[in-house]
Amino acid sequence: MRNFFLVLKFELLNLIKKKAFIVSTAIISLIVLVALTIPIIADKFGFSMFSEDEESAEEMAKIDYGILIEKDAAQLSELKALLPYANIIDAGNKQNLSKLIKSGDIKAGFIIKAPTQYEYLVMNTSAYDSNHHQMDEALLTLYRNRALSEKGIDSSIVSQIYSRPIEHDVRVLGKDSMKNYFYTYILVFGLYFIVIMYGQLIATSIASEKSNRAMEVLITSTSTKSLIFGKVIAGALAGIIQFGFILLVASITYRINASAWENSLDFIFNIPINVLLTFSIFGILGYLFYLFAFGAIGALVSRTEDISASATPITIVFMIAFFISMFSMNTPDSLLLKIASFIPLSSFMAMFIRVSMGNVSKLHVTISLILLAASTGAIGILGAKIYRLGSLMYGNPVKLKTAIKLLRER
Amino acid sequence: MILKLENIHKSFSGISVLQGVSFTITGGKALGFLGRNGAGKTTTIRILMGLFDADQGQILLNGKPFNPQEHSIGYLPEERGLYPKQKVLAQLMYFGQLRGLNNREAKKNALYWLEKLDLLEYQDKRLETLSKGNQQKVQIAETLLCNPDIVILDEPFSGLDPVNSQILKDIMHELIAKESIVIFSSHQMSYVEEFCDEVVLIDKGDIVLTGNLRSIKREYGMNRISLGVIDKEVNRLKNMLPNQIEDIKVVGSKNREIIIELLNRKSKNELLHNLLTLNIDIESFSIYEPTLTDIFVQKVGEAR
Repeated sequence: MRNFFLVLKFELLNLIKKKAFIVSTAIISLIVLVALTIPIIADKFGFSMFSEDEESAEEMAKIDYGILIEKDAAQLSELKALLPYANIIDAGNKQNLSKLIKSGDIKAGFIIKAPTQYEYLVMNTSAYDSNHHQMDEALLTLYRNRALSEKGIDSSIVSQIYSRPIEHDVRVLGKDSMKNYFYTYILVFGLYFIVIMYGQLIATSIASEKSNRAMEVLITSTSTKSLIFGKVIAGALAGIIQFGFILLVASITYRINASAWENSLDFIFNIPINVLLTFSIFGILGYLFYLFAFGAIGALVSRTEDISASATPITIVFMIAFFISMFSMNTPDSLLLKIASFIPLSSFMAMFIRVSMGNVSKLHVTISLILLAASTGAIGILGAKIYRLGSLMYGNPVKLKTAIKLLRER
Repeated sequence: MILKLENIHKSFSGISVLQGVSFTITGGKALGFLGRNGAGKTTTIRILMGLFDADQGQILLNGKPFNPQEHSIGYLPEERGLYPKQKVLAQLMYFGQLRGLNNREAKKNALYWLEKLDLLEYQDKRLETLSKGNQQKVQIAETLLCNPDIVILDEPFSGLDPVNSQILKDIMHELIAKESIVIFSSHQMSYVEEFCDEVVLIDKGDIVLTGNLRSIKREYGMNRISLGVIDKEVNRLKNMLPNQIEDIKVVGSKNREIIIELLNRKSKNELLHNLLTLNIDIESFSIYEPTLTDIFVQKVGEAR
């Protein structure tokens, strides 16, 4: 146990003292910090993301419309009143209208041919172009008002009747998947990144110990269990420290700036404690599970260049687990996710998603947790054995199958 | 202290690597452990250190089963076994602590060996920035850090200049004087001859020669005469002598010497008389004493 802590301390200090660790943590934290301070920064420069003064926002965004009315199809003044967002310019004639559009002086041109018919002129169309919808709306209103008054009905009463808002409250009895979606997504994605990043890191660190033969001295100095558990847990801690630090920066920055955001991101930052707890326990166990696997792979190769090839199968398995979990986020009670939530290879992501977004019994969570914890322990011990075996085999990478066969022989 | 390996067998995936290795090492007498590459030296050393279990056979220390965990073993691997990117003192302390020293002892011992090996100025340098010879000295410091009773040195002189070699020689003499068990594996036979009282020669997983180096040399030199002649004559005489002189066999030659074995109790004087009669220009005439290299080459050659 003493040696386990010695290895842990040595490896952890090595990892977190590395420039790459410090710089990457600092850069990501800075990006998060800046991103979450955007409303305040924007305010300083005179832009407002959440402006209450809508008039001023509209003022800035006024679009120039060129209009040509044929045969008294409509009154320019009436259109102006109905299109307050636009600067209405009387084009005079078709040539002039085309010229204004081509020169870029105006964004949109309308030739009103009849009270319910017009031609829309535009330089380039775009998917977000809503100018003609504005015109549709304006002409329709004009038409309705005129038709209603011809029948002797007061159009303002009709408009009142039609635009009566209906009040409603939502009471979510199960999970509010819409609200949970974002933080679940962010946490699962974060988990994916640290497994891939630190998995590779641990495999590389073990393989390089093998290639510089420090391993020869290490395994004669202490037990392989202390070594592999110390190394893997050090790597895991470094990842947790990095991930946790970034989350902390994000959380603190947001809490300071929450009023500037008008609390619009509360749904991401107010994660229920049971979800956070599930994430931590399942996440850490799953993370360790894969790190042990990557550690064993590091021991089976003799050169760091061979790692990516040897790690491919485990990376593919991990990616499949990740994608099953990700794609099942919209259907958290699907059979596929249920199965995935019991298999240790994927349960740490799948069960977390089920807890966070779906309905799952405590019994299922417990069974899945026991399976995951037991297999993480088992793969740790297997990892230590493979480490011991692999550490003394040099040359070509040893296949996992061969390694297990050799272990059985011994 | 007497360490005894008895009939050690080991095979990997059905391929036999050691076939009944037996030898004895006594404290205070260095043992030269020799063999060609792939002969089974490293496997034997690893079994001795408890990294592998032998399939068969046993290791005894003073007559009792030997448990490597209970002893401090200093192992110097043939290739560098340290962290290139770590500072010298920090990694020595780490290895020391892993082997049971506390923080203070680890620092004290590390500094002691760094000073003894003239490395104090490099204690805060990363290992990879040191020269090859200095890295080897750090490796030696790492091996001896815990004052081991059993020291296994695999090619310890590699990369050392004459001054550093002398420092290591002095350390080895100290270890031997302290009655430590010293196993010295090397292909540099001159060093083995200098330090080792006993030698073990392993070939293809089998011990082909074991015993006291001086006795072995005597045995291999028995009834053999080294005849020094001028250069041009060597080849002519090698063919001519067995035809002209009775009861002799030419067993070899090197440079300007012909090695002659006396058969059927023929004496040195008789041979000298024969040579004078033939009027051969003799440059030297002496009892042949084989070098360890000669014995190694001959013994491994025989086995092949």
